[in-house]
Amino acid sequence: MKKTGSILASIALAASLLAGCSANGGKQDADGAIQIGLAAPISGTQAQYGEAFKNGAELAAKQVNDAGGIDGKKVKIVIQDDKGDPHEAVNVANKFVTDKDILAVVGHFNSSATLATAPIYNKNKIVEISPSSSAPAVTNAGEYTFRVITTDAFQAAYLADWSKELGYRKVALIYEQSDFGLGLLDVYKEAAPKNNIEIVAAESYNPGDKDFSTVLTKIKEKQPDAIFIGGFYNEAALIAQQAQKLGLKTDYIGVDSLYSEALLELGGDAVENMKLIGFFYPGGDNEEATKFAEAYQTAYNSKPDTYAAYAYVATSVVIEAIKHNGADREKIKEYLKTLHDYKGPTGVLSFDENGDVVTTPERLTIRNGAFELYQ
Amino acid sequence: MFLQQLVNGLTIGVIYALIALGYTMVYGILKMVNFAHGDIFMFGSFLGLFFMKHLHMPLYLAFLLSAAATSAIGVVIERVAYRPLRTADRIVPLISALGVSTFLVSLAQKLWGTEMHPFPTAFGRGTVTVGSITFSEIQILILVLSFILMLGLHLFVTRTKTGTAMRATSMSLTNAALMGINTNHMISLAFAIGSALAACAGIMVGIYYNAVYPTMGYMAGINAFTAAVLGGIGSIPGAMLGGILLGVVENLGGAYISTQYQSVISFTILIIVLMIRPTGILGKKDINKV
Amino acid sequence: MRSRAGRFAIVGLLILLPLLLQQIDDYILHIAIIIGIYAILSLSLNVIVGYAGQFALGHAAFYGIGAYTAALIMLHGSASFWLALAAAAAVTGLFGLLLGSPVIRLRGDYLGIVTLGFGEIVRLIFVNWVDVTRGPMGLPGIPAPSLFGHAFTEKIEFYYLILALVLLTYFIINRIVHSGIGLNLLTIREDETLAQSVGIRPNPYKLLAFSLGACFAGVAGAYWAAYISYVSPDSFRYLDSVNILAMVILGGTASLPGSILGAILLVLAPEILRYMNDYRMMLLGLAIILMMIFKPSGFWGEKHRKYNFYGLAQKGGRK
Repeated sequence: MKKTGSILASIALAASLLAGCSANGGKQDADGAIQIGLAAPISGTQAQYGEAFKNGAELAAKQVNDAGGIDGKKVKIVIQDDKGDPHEAVNVANKFVTDKDILAVVGHFNSSATLATAPIYNKNKIVEISPSSSAPAVTNAGEYTFRVITTDAFQAAYLADWSKELGYRKVALIYEQSDFGLGLLDVYKEAAPKNNIEIVAAESYNPGDKDFSTVLTKIKEKQPDAIFIGGFYNEAALIAQQAQKLGLKTDYIGVDSLYSEALLELGGDAVENMKLIGFFYPGGDNEEATKFAEAYQTAYNSKPDTYAAYAYVATSVVIEAIKHNGADREKIKEYLKTLHDYKGPTGVLSFDENGDVVTTPERLTIRNGAFELYQ
Repeated sequence: MFLQQLVNGLTIGVIYALIALGYTMVYGILKMVNFAHGDIFMFGSFLGLFFMKHLHMPLYLAFLLSAAATSAIGVVIERVAYRPLRTADRIVPLISALGVSTFLVSLAQKLWGTEMHPFPTAFGRGTVTVGSITFSEIQILILVLSFILMLGLHLFVTRTKTGTAMRATSMSLTNAALMGINTNHMISLAFAIGSALAACAGIMVGIYYNAVYPTMGYMAGINAFTAAVLGGIGSIPGAMLGGILLGVVENLGGAYISTQYQSVISFTILIIVLMIRPTGILGKKDINKV
Repeated sequence: MRSRAGRFAIVGLLILLPLLLQQIDDYILHIAIIIGIYAILSLSLNVIVGYAGQFALGHAAFYGIGAYTAALIMLHGSASFWLALAAAAAVTGLFGLLLGSPVIRLRGDYLGIVTLGFGEIVRLIFVNWVDVTRGPMGLPGIPAPSLFGHAFTEKIEFYYLILALVLLTYFIINRIVHSGIGLNLLTIREDETLAQSVGIRPNPYKLLAFSLGACFAGVAGAYWAAYISYVSPDSFRYLDSVNILAMVILGGTASLPGSILGAILLVLAPEILRYMNDYRMMLLGLAIILMMIFKPSGFWGEKHRKYNFYGLAQKGGRK
């Protein structure tokens, strides 16, 4: 019994090994397609963002392919799972840079993964274009590191101005204890006194926390005019819901990462009136955004969130680069350096000398369970 | 604020206690830490969600069916992944449990995606204010139901024949078997009860936070395990006490010291308690037989 | 394998291996390096778990302390990698001692949860002590090691460095566990009371095992920091501790070649399953359960040996 068992186990192991090799082998002869890497958290706690990345990037490729591809060649997105973990991200980056068929990499999701992999991409001279890593440190990560999202510094300063216009005097901050949340915190805190805003509380949570009752009970004492949320839509929905259960009534204001259908679904009536900025807002002035949302709806039968849009844009600019400058790693970088006023679903964008993006957001709010432009 | 934080702490504390009971009952008999227990809790939550959202069942039915289905899962896991390892080194079933945990989480991710799901019930949104404390309906449900479940378990273990047999099994597997108790049944029963309690906790947490997701069992599992050890692992009243204590300490620590270091505070308390009482607050003294 | 010649053959093969691998690609060389890092980690944890019989669930904390110590020393003290490596080993060894001394009296699962708690505490300090660790932003720009003025830039150089470190770790740990100390540790593991009755005081030995294990985990951490040139708290989570423990058990407790085998298996398995994306973690979980059921003493456990430590013939396998 025992012996057969171990034999079975070894056979299973050997079989999976072989399957692995053949799958790798099979990838090589992808009929000369143009291959773009996508590094995203496909599994793990952040997999919903990975899913958005995958959908957005694949939609961009599909649209080009439906229009005949680039010089008759199909564009193929090669997806690797970085689990949102820097260890894994480094494995993925090494896998990409050694595969000569990969022309550029869209990713990573987390700033920590982008920073950990930046030396690898830069050393191997291949473009890494992150749809979502908004940490200020990414600015100096290297000349092959680009991103299509603005830095946290920009968003927080913009929100501080808006808070003043909304007449907030006392604001409580809840932020994620991450590069992302801390970046927002610093800038908002600094901008607050200039805008006559008093910060009555600044509470952080660790990524993955779900219980905000302690923090909210503390904040309730301070009776703020608004709570600034420096985190993602999941947490924003939970914060609003749990505040409602604690009888805490206040306004909410937050960054573009809150923009998602999931916020409405999870938050229900608790997120009504929440104010947020968005670079991607279909149904407004930006036709590209509306077009993208429609295409996305047709392809996946669901509404895209911000990250799907960013991944779409990041993939699209890479495709644009290949169209203009040819299928060459170095030339893609050259093209992106000079990219100017590119019109996409997340607004009109240009890259500055550090590979950061320059664009302006829309002001949004939630009315009757739907996003709309704030008037 | 103090009272409100205390109520918040109690709410999460009884949840920890319910999950901790699963750890402690299994440990009491098999002396193994079922590391997949947190993920069983997650499955219970998802099953409850499934029954309500897709089969449109009322909440109480979701509780019953999810508890039943989850205990079946618990029993199957024991049968498949732990029973063959009963005579192996103590650390071996632990690794197998980690395998089960990885499997369950990725299965849930495959079945339901990794995003958070809201619980489709309007129940629990309302609030009751008593003095300066605001109770939400769900907090009241959690406190009352958990109390009933724990009382029920206590009565079952102390007053019924099967309960006595289970206690006998946890005292000595061999001697219980010699007394004519089918110890395998008792072990299955411990897994079934523990999993059912975890499922109830899962549904309540799902409604409380309005969030169900595949990795929810990880932190809940670690906290509940801490609670079980704090109270004295293997001891049923210990698990209840440990859970409540941990919930309250965590919330008050978060309120008056620092929310970032909430888990640091609870682990520090754990270490201090173990320094003074190496087998937890209500744990039996470990007698070293020569 | 027992013979000296066999060992030399393996080492020689490992030295020549990258020349072969490099022909294939850098990715495989990178995986070989990662295996090396985990081999050091599982070897060092094996001293604690396998030889001293202490159930420790916080090994990633030592790995992290080593990485941060080395990173901070290199960044702020502009020390060389070699100095940072030594310092990281010393500091983590000290932490092993510090953690060990209060908890050494705890047994089994109690020790498990306390070490798990220690791991979480350390990670939360990395996350929240922003002034020193830069919190979740991590520490970027850690310089590469250099030798005689030549800076390491190529993967192959890093490969030889990790190979040297693995061999060193193996050599030292092998010497220690096969000395009287190792014998005493095994005696303590098997029966503490018995050990005391023959005059072996358990605590100093357990402490030694803790600090020795921690020390080498620190070496692995320092190497990781220099290799990736970036450290962040995300890399030192509870699941990493669990992963290292699984390597030790899978390979076989109290078996040094087993630890290396465990590291190879658990680094390679997820990479090979990479093409499965969605299913890979599910299969990995299943594989671990199956391996435990069919090989409960690991692939290279003590049962694998014909003679046990005391030179006596082994009893038959368990039923």
